[in-house]
Amino acid sequence: MHIADGILAVEIVLVADAASIGALYLFGKKIDTDDIPKMGLMAAALFVASLVYFPVAGTSMHLGLYGLAGILLGWLSFPVVFLALLFQSLLFQHGGLLSTGINALNMGAGALLAYGVWSLKGLPEWLRAFTGGFLGIFFAAILMAGEFHLSGYGKGFFYVLAGYAVVAAIEGGLTVFIIGFLRKVKPAILNN
Amino acid sequence: MKHDYPDRYSGLDSPLHRLDPRSKLFGFTAALLIIVSEPRGELVPFLFYFALIAALLLISRVPVMFILRRCLNASPFILLAALLLPFSSLLSDREAGLTTEVWNFSLSVVLKALAAIILLVLLTSLDKFHRLLKGLRSTGFPAVFTVLAALMYRYIFILNDERLRTQMARLSRTPGRLRRGRFRVIGNQAAVIFLRSWERAHLVHQAMLARGFDGSFPEYGKLVFVPMDIIFCCSLTFLFLLIRIGI
Repeated sequence: MHIADGILAVEIVLVADAASIGALYLFGKKIDTDDIPKMGLMAAALFVASLVYFPVAGTSMHLGLYGLAGILLGWLSFPVVFLALLFQSLLFQHGGLLSTGINALNMGAGALLAYGVWSLKGLPEWLRAFTGGFLGIFFAAILMAGEFHLSGYGKGFFYVLAGYAVVAAIEGGLTVFIIGFLRKVKPAILNN
Repeated sequence: MKHDYPDRYSGLDSPLHRLDPRSKLFGFTAALLIIVSEPRGELVPFLFYFALIAALLLISRVPVMFILRRCLNASPFILLAALLLPFSSLLSDREAGLTTEVWNFSLSVVLKALAAIILLVLLTSLDKFHRLLKGLRSTGFPAVFTVLAALMYRYIFILNDERLRTQMARLSRTPGRLRRGRFRVIGNQAAVIFLRSWERAHLVHQAMLARGFDGSFPEYGKLVFVPMDIIFCCSLTFLFLLIRIGI
């Protein structure tokens, strides 16, 4: 899910980097000094929770939790996702350094969309949690498919989306359980 | 804390390790940019790029096997991207089959991504991570993000230990393959990691406020940019640029 350097057309990557830095600047202005420890630790938690692997259909998958980041942090999720991706790129080579901008736009957009869905208070909580978790992955995958198409890879990635839909559904299910657990143990965490 | 892998080789003594982190950040980012801007389908320049990267590796004394093992982390996605164009070509025109152009495109994507990953692993192996962050900050990166990054780096390893503990607890309670209730158990594990991080964040914040935290960390020890740093940065960029423009 993390795009490495050299995969997409360089123009697309650079435009996304510029957009991402612009978004970071905008969201950065909303950061209060009191938010810094919470954001730093949530970014670390997002990074670490994404290292939880589990078996699925003979292979293993790991959590993304971008939807959950959106649900828990709201607007602040974009800088947190950006930082988590930057660290994943530098420490584990999951995604490229120059591609951090485009990866952050893809997954940050998923996180913000999840926040939007979570804000629809009229819907049942489990449905908002599932849709948020699902969109956190699937919306990012849709954006990626478009970027691959624009970079000259043809329409092949649109077929790969079917696989991502399954992954996103699993992530949505997990988000329901995570939110359910947090609601039971520490409901204050969900009132952002 | 059992995780030393990011800084495993940053303590080596080599001419590259002794450089200022800003010089390495600028030089390697320029090299990355030049490599990724290479037109798709071009294969010959990569002989020279890899020769240059091999020279950097040799000077740095970072073990090649370590670098190659780290490259494996990114290999699934690179393979997926490399196979995407042949797949798309077959979908759009099965009669035409796969042309040399398509294979060259795929191979150049693999080479480009591989070169970029090696450079990235090398960059993070040439200096302590906190010094790279300090270098970033002194280049004008907003302080709020470098403070966030410093906090994140400090707690990643503590939280990773937490992950290993919760994993151990999960495996002890549900030995063998997880079948029924698999998602609930994994979801609870992730929730516990978030919950403990949240509670820790409150304690950390209170401790920081008690010590007079005002949004930035005090800096100890200034970075010094000497002429050798400028020479390294400019010559690395120049050499990669020479290959890129085909001289």
